[in-house]
Amino acid sequence: MASSRASQASGSAQGEHDLRRRNVSEKGENGSALGGPSEVDKKKEIPTKNQTSFPKILDDYEFLLAPLIFTALAFFTRMYKIGLSDIVTWDEAHFGKFGSHYLKREFYFDVHPPLGKMLVGLSGYMAGYNGSFEFKSGEKYPEELNYTFMRLFNSAFGAMCVPVAYYTARELNFRRPAVWLVTLMVLFENSYATISRFILLDSMLLFFTFTTTLCWARFHRLRHDSFSPEWFTWLVLTGISIGCVCSVKWVGLFCTALVGAYTAEDLWNKFGDLNMKKPTLISHVITRVAGLIVIPLLVYMFSFYIHFLVLENSGPGDAQMSSLFQANLKGTDVGKDSPLEVAYGSRATLKNMGYGGGLLHSHIQTYPEGSQQQQVTCYHHKDANNDWFFYPNRADPLYDAEAPLKYVSNNHVLRLIHSQTGRNLHSHAVSAPVTKGDNEVSSYGNTTVGDDKDHWTVEVVDDAASRDYSRIRTLTTSFRLRHTTLGCYLRAGNVNLPQWGFKQIEVTCAKENKPKDVYTHWNVESHWNERLPAGDPGSYKSPFLRDFMHLNVAMMTSNNALVPDPDKQDDLASQFWQWPVLNVGLRMCGWDDHIVKYFLLGNPIVYWGSTASLFTFGALVAWYLVRWQRGYEELKPSEIDYIHYGGFYPVVGWFLHYMPFVAMARVTYVHHYYPALYFAILTMGFVMDWFTKPLHRKDKRLEWAVYAALYVAVFALFWTFRAMVFGMEGDNKQWRHLKWFDRWRITD
Amino acid sequence: MSSNSVRHRGGGKEKAPATTPPQNRDAKPNGSVDGALDKMPQVVKSEWDYKLAGVIITALAFVTRFWGIGHPNEVVFDEVHFGKFASYYLQRTYFFDVHPPFGKLLFALMGWFVGYDGHFHFDNIGDSYIANKVPYVAFRAMPALLGALTVPTVFMIMWESGYTLPAAIVAASLVLFDNAHIGQTRLILLDATLVYAMSLSVLSYVKFYKMRHEPFSRKWWKWLLLTGVALSCVISTKYVGVFTFFTVGSAVAIDLWGLFDVDRPQGALSLPDFGKHFAARVIGLIVVPFLIYLFWFQVHFAILTRSGPGDDFMTPAFQETLSDNIMSAQSTGVNYYDSISMKHKETKTYLHSHAERYPLRYDDGRVSSQGQQVTGYPFNDTNNYWQIMPQKVIDPMDTTENEPVKNLDFVKLRHLVTDTYLMSHDVASPYYPTNQEFSTTDLESANGDRFNDTLFQVMIENGKTRQDLKSVSGHFKLIHAPSRVAMWTHTSPLPDWAFKQAEINGNKNLQQSSNIWYVDEIPSIPADSPRLVKEERKVKSMPFLAKYFELQRAIFFHNNALTSSHPYASQPVQWPFLLRGVSFWTQNDTRQQIYFLGNPIGWWLASSLLAVFAGIIGADQLSQRRGVDSLDERTRSRLYNSTGFFFLCWAAHYLPFYLMGRQLFLHHYLPAHLASALVTGALLEFIFNLDPEGLDSNFIAESTGRSPSKSSSKKGAGPAVGVEGNQIDRTGKRVVVPAKQRMGSMVGLWAASGGVLAVVLFGWYWFLPLTYGKPGLSAEQVIARKWLAYDLHFAK
Repeated sequence: MASSRASQASGSAQGEHDLRRRNVSEKGENGSALGGPSEVDKKKEIPTKNQTSFPKILDDYEFLLAPLIFTALAFFTRMYKIGLSDIVTWDEAHFGKFGSHYLKREFYFDVHPPLGKMLVGLSGYMAGYNGSFEFKSGEKYPEELNYTFMRLFNSAFGAMCVPVAYYTARELNFRRPAVWLVTLMVLFENSYATISRFILLDSMLLFFTFTTTLCWARFHRLRHDSFSPEWFTWLVLTGISIGCVCSVKWVGLFCTALVGAYTAEDLWNKFGDLNMKKPTLISHVITRVAGLIVIPLLVYMFSFYIHFLVLENSGPGDAQMSSLFQANLKGTDVGKDSPLEVAYGSRATLKNMGYGGGLLHSHIQTYPEGSQQQQVTCYHHKDANNDWFFYPNRADPLYDAEAPLKYVSNNHVLRLIHSQTGRNLHSHAVSAPVTKGDNEVSSYGNTTVGDDKDHWTVEVVDDAASRDYSRIRTLTTSFRLRHTTLGCYLRAGNVNLPQWGFKQIEVTCAKENKPKDVYTHWNVESHWNERLPAGDPGSYKSPFLRDFMHLNVAMMTSNNALVPDPDKQDDLASQFWQWPVLNVGLRMCGWDDHIVKYFLLGNPIVYWGSTASLFTFGALVAWYLVRWQRGYEELKPSEIDYIHYGGFYPVVGWFLHYMPFVAMARVTYVHHYYPALYFAILTMGFVMDWFTKPLHRKDKRLEWAVYAALYVAVFALFWTFRAMVFGMEGDNKQWRHLKWFDRWRITD
Repeated sequence: MSSNSVRHRGGGKEKAPATTPPQNRDAKPNGSVDGALDKMPQVVKSEWDYKLAGVIITALAFVTRFWGIGHPNEVVFDEVHFGKFASYYLQRTYFFDVHPPFGKLLFALMGWFVGYDGHFHFDNIGDSYIANKVPYVAFRAMPALLGALTVPTVFMIMWESGYTLPAAIVAASLVLFDNAHIGQTRLILLDATLVYAMSLSVLSYVKFYKMRHEPFSRKWWKWLLLTGVALSCVISTKYVGVFTFFTVGSAVAIDLWGLFDVDRPQGALSLPDFGKHFAARVIGLIVVPFLIYLFWFQVHFAILTRSGPGDDFMTPAFQETLSDNIMSAQSTGVNYYDSISMKHKETKTYLHSHAERYPLRYDDGRVSSQGQQVTGYPFNDTNNYWQIMPQKVIDPMDTTENEPVKNLDFVKLRHLVTDTYLMSHDVASPYYPTNQEFSTTDLESANGDRFNDTLFQVMIENGKTRQDLKSVSGHFKLIHAPSRVAMWTHTSPLPDWAFKQAEINGNKNLQQSSNIWYVDEIPSIPADSPRLVKEERKVKSMPFLAKYFELQRAIFFHNNALTSSHPYASQPVQWPFLLRGVSFWTQNDTRQQIYFLGNPIGWWLASSLLAVFAGIIGADQLSQRRGVDSLDERTRSRLYNSTGFFFLCWAAHYLPFYLMGRQLFLHHYLPAHLASALVTGALLEFIFNLDPEGLDSNFIAESTGRSPSKSSSKKGAGPAVGVEGNQIDRTGKRVVVPAKQRMGSMVGLWAASGGVLAVVLFGWYWFLPLTYGKPGLSAEQVIARKWLAYDLHFAK
């Protein structure tokens, strides 16, 4: 709230500033697009001054009044009947749960960066919720959980998008009717309104996407005022906004790419400006690097810093992190009471030390190819299948629980026996299932059946606690396991197995000896041995940067595993080509009569209009290019400038947010289009503005009539489909008339 | 100022720089040709060196490609596929492959020439050709021929583009002495066709572009159409031909954009004239190639008239167009009260049941219904027989009604041996807690309280409503009526209690393609039944376009599905650095191996010069931006337009691979490597020939030399050129400056080229034993060749 008010306040300042500057720039390169309207404004001013001053006041304060009204409406569309459905709806199951983890301060793992989920946690905290609810999909919220407040908190972000869109359109130099059109299209966009009403990350993602665009547009408008305090303010705000949008979801990177492309072009122009002094040029580059790279990175890292700070207890995501990190969580059993030094007969879990590394794992399922022996994988979930016994090799006498203890030390040849199945960790000259160049690792035989291919040589790499490499210590010793006969090294390199391996990480035996390859480094994480005294090896801290890197690599790895299984067709999933034409909607919950139903579907005119305007813009550019090549110089430099920044950049923004989903192999849903939709809406604002310009000169009333018709259409369609936003109660057949197309599965 | 420079940039993309037109236009009238003609005799004389070099290079190309082509006399690597396809063509049995037919048809043609009947199916790498009597040398001669011709084509491209002799020699030698090009074109593979057609496209386009001052002349049309034909050959061989289209298409688009310009130096074209240009290119470069592309498919369908291994990829309608297709031959309608056996399409197991029951409790603690087991069993057995019953209260005695089973019918299935009825219910299956257990129940409950549980709906794939169910050809899903789960099975066998047979369960995901079953046999039909008698089956026909679209769709679908991994698959990023090759063939006794690998020295040189080119362009852009003009306009034009075109060709044939999800191999880089060789030759000339004077004279010759060709050939030529008219015609277009004139500045270039040739030759020679597969190497010799940890065999 505070931030939005700030943007309003500064918006007012900039508005006045603009008016003043416009007259100047009219003669400069940026004038004429503004020139038209402002001249007319002046004409209009003269008669009104003589008559009553009220319309003039309205006109002067439009920049405050209009957004206020729009914002009020936005709060209504986003919040009306928000608590109607008292069940966990759609992805609330995920994000509500993650929010709970912050309240319980338990460490969890997720593929998205933490900022959005921390805000969800904050809303829960403000609602007085204790984090005890599990957020099971479709489950009823308990009495004590004020889910309405949590949703209100989220929807505020969605509502604040509206004034931001208003000011962005102004900054892009659209004339007033087009500014209103853009604002109304955001305001009465059913899909935006619907998705903002739940405990999800999308409203925040949208909000920060909107603010980034606003900051960028404002920053661009200030380009002739370089290095002024206001210019610096907006540069920093752009940086912060980029940092926020990337800290909510990685999709924010596409928004960053838009600002990056603009900056690159800007600097390239400055580089070619021979009148610019070199120190000025250099300071331009330095300020951009500081404002648009360093600040966002700091914001991003800061969100992780808070994340680690808040989540101080052990939780479900522990295994994604390094053993040392886990040992510093409260309530973990890693490193607690574990005997310090590993001996033969010890039961232990082995942790891969690479970024995102998991625990050495095996289960009774076999490889469908290769040796067809039992699978060995690397896995982030803690269960008994991760436990291995350190056992003497076949040449040595069998382990005897009565005999004196023998410690495992550097260069020992030993066996690792899987505690659940009793099989030996084994490798052979069969190529691994995915990384074909390496040897396959499997579980084979048992304590008596087997051969010397069950033998592994321990090679200590480092020990964080001691220089003495003769012992293997829990947590602190990192070691490699060399296959004694083949000479290859046990490795888990963040490659996911196919579905038959449950998408767990492939474990191989790497033929090349690369001592620096951390994916061949392992440490003992949990360690049990009744014959040894308990120790406390977990007193070493792991540095923040390491944890930060580790978590980000783990997120990336999990993201890569989210590829669709061609055999598992998801009812909810949709494909990129369906979005711009509004071919599908999405059921956010069950469709029973007693459930309040929400259907994620856009406002048809906003979708179709914005998509059409993308094509129109392409045709417009092609038209002027062709005309130009044939020698017609119809456009003034200022008009070219307007097309460039008011039209072309939004289209680029749309491309950047849309194309990745065309290329991406992962499962996609309709809401992935929403950030792109905003840029399509801006394009529509531009296209309408451009094509009504002749009207504006000829007949202002006709222009307003055209826009009024659009306003009414946008609103009327929103109102027609309002039930999907505000919740549909009772039999879904009531809304049969809204099922314009078969793919809109509003009714069965 | 700034807008002016923008304006320039648009025009600058035209190959003829803005400064040329005056000269060009001057040169057009017959009289002004004289100036150029003065130089002609010299030019003509200086031609011999190119020709001699061309002949030597061609001869060497044939030697390197054909030497020892009969070795090894065994199936090598992907010969498994492409040899097999040739055999299928010769036997006219239908097969399916993800590549278009042209390249494979060429092999078939070769086989047909030498009278081979296609009896051998190239099943395994290492199968002997001698023992199987395959004319493999003839097969291999075809790609070797094309591979050899690729080398002079590269030389011609450089020559036609007006590069100096050493530059042309270097570019051609990089391909000539490249182990990857040699290795890939000596075997029965498609890449020789692909690379040759690709180089021909580039050559034809260069020739076409040089005719631009004579639009719509006979020669102009000739080269336009030849470009189109060459392009269609590329894309009819492999779909990477799209990249060649993109390369040529970009150049054409830039050219057209220049023609469209009103400020065009040669004067503005009227819109109808421009329309003619545009239409001619659309016809020559899109319509004609596409028609040729379709033509190969027509040939493909015309040849493959018999049923074969590719049948399964096609729809039943398509299969009916093939003669002796099993599916239509054995297919019989299924009637109620028939006893049938059903097979799962994917795993080929029969639906089976036996008197044993499910154990009460599984290993993981879940309980079962303890009903009779229903399993999947791969072998023929009377326990696989099920009687198909209509949806009504069943009287087992009444089998009078012999109605055919139709699509979407609800049926009951009676297990004959145990006299029980197939059913499913809301109990978890042994392995899948999410899937429903399948079991059987007795007649009483099947007619009584479990009536609904024993009902199944037959849903024929792509079937019409009320269509008859046929055995073998009718693929269907069996959907459990009350719970809407599909009968499904998978490959992990059940434990011993089910005799390691397959699990049958109800899959909630109806869409899944592995839910499909078909009726394998109808044992209840007596052998003399009229139902088995079939009238002489006519082979149906299908319109060509319908066939084509079906096959095209299947090809794209399967091309994208080629994602499985291969031990020698590689990533695009590894290719320019030649980090890894592919083991094609090994023989343990003789320690011989064929390891597909480029000439590392040649590749590294070519790749580093690509980087140098990018660097030069970047530096030029940056310096121009700061108002520093370090290149004269002519050099820059050459660098951007000619060398830039080669660079674009490289990028277009390389970068798209990064976006591809499918399995990739080193040989996918070959077209890009060829383009990089062109860049290398051109850039070598640029670097070692910076003498402005030489360049200027070069340039003048280029700009004037072009037009005389036209005037001399068109206008019937004067006596002065009459004798060697042909030569002048060619030399005129060749941007050649008399060698003697430039000798002074060419010493450096010759020396550099000599040095490059020497190291390239060494690299080629060093890896020869791996390319030709002989002689066998000792362990030390192998280790000496493991430059970048190449995974060679016999290193121990």
